[in-house]
Formats: sequence, structure tokens, C-alpha cells
Amino acid sequence: MRSALQQPFKTAVLVLVWGWLLFLVFTPNLLVVGASVMTRDPGSFIALPFSLDAYRQLLNPLYLEVFLHSLYMAAMTTLCCLLIGYPFAWALSKVPKQRQMLLIFLLIVPFWTNSLVRTYALKLILATNGLLNNALLGLGVIEEPVRLLYTEGAVIIGLVYLLLPFMILPLYSVFDDLREDYLRASHDLGAGRWPTFIHVIVPLTLPGVLAGIMLVLLPAMGLFFVPDILGGSRNLLVGNVIKNQFLDARNWPFGAAASILLTLAMAFLMFAHKLSKKRLGEDGV
Amino acid sequence: MKKIALASLLAVGLTGCGGSEEPEVLNLYNWSEYMPQEVLDRFTEETGIQVVYTTYDSNEAMYARLKLLDDSAAYDLAVPSTYYVSKMRQEDLLMPIDRSKIEGFDNLDPELVNLDIDPDNQYSVPYLWGTTGLAVDTGDVEGDVTAWEDLWDERFEGQVMLTNDMREVFHVGLRVLGYSGNSTNPDEIEEAYEKLSELMPSVRTFNSDAPRMPYLEGETEVGMIWNGEAVMGRDALPTLEYVYPEEGIIAWLDSFVIPKNAKNPDAAHEFINFMLKPEIAALISEEIGYATPNLPARDLLPDEVADDRASYPTAEDMVNAEFQTDIGDEALQVYAKYWEMLKSGQ
Repeated sequence: MRSALQQPFKTAVLVLVWGWLLFLVFTPNLLVVGASVMTRDPGSFIALPFSLDAYRQLLNPLYLEVFLHSLYMAAMTTLCCLLIGYPFAWALSKVPKQRQMLLIFLLIVPFWTNSLVRTYALKLILATNGLLNNALLGLGVIEEPVRLLYTEGAVIIGLVYLLLPFMILPLYSVFDDLREDYLRASHDLGAGRWPTFIHVIVPLTLPGVLAGIMLVLLPAMGLFFVPDILGGSRNLLVGNVIKNQFLDARNWPFGAAASILLTLAMAFLMFAHKLSKKRLGEDGV
Repeated sequence: MKKIALASLLAVGLTGCGGSEEPEVLNLYNWSEYMPQEVLDRFTEETGIQVVYTTYDSNEAMYARLKLLDDSAAYDLAVPSTYYVSKMRQEDLLMPIDRSKIEGFDNLDPELVNLDIDPDNQYSVPYLWGTTGLAVDTGDVEGDVTAWEDLWDERFEGQVMLTNDMREVFHVGLRVLGYSGNSTNPDEIEEAYEKLSELMPSVRTFNSDAPRMPYLEGETEVGMIWNGEAVMGRDALPTLEYVYPEEGIIAWLDSFVIPKNAKNPDAAHEFINFMLKPEIAALISEEIGYATPNLPARDLLPDEVADDRASYPTAEDMVNAEFQTDIGDEALQVYAKYWEMLKSGQ
């Protein structure tokens, strides 16, 4: 009786979830894979025959340079997020429970505003005659306005601002699980603050660090509107290359191949994350 | 295969298009900041046709969108630049314009109709024409700026703005080297890339949304600009000057075209008619600073607009001017490669 009632509900949920994944995740990705192995066609964007030219083009030193620079900016972003996010998450886990919820809520509130709008707001702050420069001039800290907008620094600031919560949240969850017993045990066994940090805290929070890196590094390479708005359409990310290939150069197979490169990089990071978790699990036993 | 791919890509975007007794609608796809709202309001008032106004900031984006939405008939009217008219015509993306429904075609400057891009104007009706030249904020810049070459001057380090338009930026590089801005020769394009990469340390930003803004915001003081943007920018920044560079200006003509699958070609024809009215054409030219090809409209313009060299260049200003032409797909790929290198180079 019970199962008969539950069965239709269960089936409906399964159909919904699988249908969603199939049509909105699997099929679009399959189309991207399909486009990447076809030939560029000026008239209809993609055409037969199948070819791996797009992937060969990825190995071209020109694009390699773009990817490396993009990776560099994404890595700087991740590093900044980590340097800010790690102590932030640690401090957050030390705050009384009730206030923690409020702080996390405040962390999430900016998501209620579209990120494009927030990036434009950042532009107003960083501009030569913007808020920051006017404030610094007014305080007498600087004599001449500092050029912040349309620089590599501005792109990294924008990316850090947009992605910081994605670093803090997984770190917070591992710090929240960090048991005081371990730290006390470490102290009792004679380890000072520094050895405790290196040998106990870092390994135990590593899964959070890796999850944070995963959530920041790859999205940082894709947020093409940040260089467009804050970088003066310079300091390109892989996301800009993909957008340019689809819209301006009309080389869909190449754009698709570049996008798949990002997906593969993500898969690699997830694999590393899984591996580290597994190792950590064995160490813990 | 490709059709299936496109169809399934589109299937997601095409929900809820039920037709019922709604007011007549014209879907207009135009460049950003390229038509005063007042003109659209007057059109609706006069004809009862609602205008759904969508904008783009590059021919490439417009073309890709129209091509993708080919079957869905999302737009009734678009405004491609010079060589995109011939490209789209040749690719059979356009509907012929029924001249019997058009009044006032004879108002147009005979020099701007029946061009190579569209013989006899079977598919296009000119809207506005303009130029891409030099902008100089004379409040900040000392000394003369008379040529594209001057942008390479050391004193402008970190002060230069370029349009975010591959063809226009390479046009400048090619002209400085003495080549045609429509070059399809890979060696010349590479040379232009080398030349432009020397300029890159000076370039602060690329902008094609509203190229006047970096000048008004104080971020840049010299660089490229469209003439209408220079005219509009002068209202807020009177020291912003429009200069015709010695190597020659980049000229373009934007025309109305009707996509082949337009849902409401009648409204599109009616809109073109409206645009050809001298008083409307004059109003547009006055408001947004580009030149109208409508001769009777020019007589209606106030003197300060009609005599404004930024909007209406003299014959002398147009020496060495070059219209952009379709360079073909092969050359486009060469440009695209160097463009990517240029913008990512440090």
C-alpha cells in the first residue's frame, strides 16, 4: 500500500531529475562536443566532415599564450581568495553559532544583485574620477588620481570580489568540522602553534581548500564580462576567447573546443579533489 | 546534422510565442545609441505599430544573431553597415524591398544609392552614414594631433582609446603603413599587427558600446571615435574635438534591411517610409550627430548642424577616406587571429 503511493511520486521525481539532466545538461554539452569535432563553415557555422582541426588549433602557441595568461589571472584570483578566505572562514567558525548564521547571510546577500550590475558598480568605484580616487585625494593620501580601471589589477579585483564567497563557504564547512580535540592533542604532544597548523590544521582543511579552488579557479577563467568592463576589453580570459570565436570570428568548432578544454580542466580538478579526500580518509584511520 | 544542431539549440529559447489579438509589432534590431526615442514614439503615435527595440554593438554580433534566428523570424528590420549588406544579400538572408510601398526614396543622395554593395538598392535603404576618426580632448592634449600616426607618440602612453572593432582597428594600422584598410594580404595584415602591437602599451581601453564615455570619464584623452559619438560627447565635454586624420578616415553607410523571414514586412516597409520623411531624418541627424543621406532633410537642419564638420565632412576631409568592404572569410580568419593576439598581448 505504502509503496504503491510512493511509487508514482518516486517515478515522477526520477523522471524530472533525469529529464532535467538529460535535456539541460547532457544534450547541450553533447552539442558542444559535436560542434568541436566538426569543420568550420562560413555559411552555416559548422559543417561536416568531422575533423580535429579545432583541437590542433588549441595547441597553437598564440592561443596557448592567451590560455596561460588567463590561467595566471585566475590563479592570482584564487590565491587572493584563499589568502582572504582562509582566515575569514577560520574566524567565522570561531564566532558564536547564532552570529555565524547572520554573517553567512551577509556573505550571500550580494548574490541577490546581478553580477553584471555589481561589476558596473565596481567600475564606478575604481574609475579615475571615481569614489576610491576621490576619497584618497580628499584624505590627502595621494596627490594624483591612481589609474586603477582598465588594468590587470582591476580584472583581478573584480574576479576576487565576485568569487570570494565561493572560497569562503567550503572552507567554513571544513573549519566548522575541525574538532578541538585534535588541536588539544597536538598541543599536549608538544607541538607549538606553527607545527600544529602545518601538520594538523592544514591537512584537515585541505578538502575545503581544494573545493574552494575548484569553485574559484575555473569560473574565474570564464567570466568574460569582467575583462570587458574592468579590463577595457584587454587582459582576456578564456571566456573572452570563446565568446569572440562564437560571435566575431565565427569559428564555432574552435570556440567549442576551447570550452571543452575548460570542462576537462574542471574534471581534472574534481579528480584531484576526490583523490585527496580518499588519501585523507586513509590517513585518518 | 547542422540543422538539427541549430534547431535544438534554438528549441530552448523558443517558448511562448502564441499569436493572439495583440497590437501590431515591429521588431527593430539596431546599433546601440543609434535612434532617438522620440522618433520611435512618433512612429507608434502615427501608425499604431509598437516598436520592440533591441540593440547590438557590432556587425558580427548582429549577423550571428540573425543567422541563428533565421527560422524564428525574431526581427523585422536590421541596420547592417556597408559590406555586411552585400554579405547578407549574397547569403540569401534578406527579403527584397518592395519599392512600390516606399515613398521618398528619391530623397536620398544619388551618391549613396545604387552602390556595389547592393545594386539598385533591391535589398537595402540607406539610414545614416558616418565616419570613424580621431577624438582629441584639447583640454588635456597639448600640441596638434592630425594623423593616426600621432597615436604612437610617446606622450600618449596609457591615454589612447580604440574602438572594440577588429576591422576598424586594423584599418588604422594598415593606413598608417600606407596599405588599404580592406587589405586581404596576410603579410600586410601581419605588418599592421606588428605596428599595432607597438601601440598597445598606450592603449587604455577598447570601447564600442559608447566610445565617447572613456573621454567623458577622464580615462582617455585621444584615440578613435565615431563622428556622431564625438558630436554627442561635445555636449558634456566641450573640449572634445573630432579630427580627420591625414591617412584618411574610415567611412561607413548603415542601411535598413528586412531579414528574409521577417514576420511583419509590411510594418518594416512602413517604418522605412517614416525614416525617409525629411523632417524625421533631420531630427535624427540633429539628435545623434551622424549624417543623413536624405537631401531635403539637410535643408531642414539648423545651420550649426549642417555646417558641423564633424557630422558633415567637407570634400577635403574625405580625401583618402575608405569605405569598408567584405574581405571574405579567409582574410577574416587572419584578422581574427591577430586581433586575439593583439588584445591578449601584454
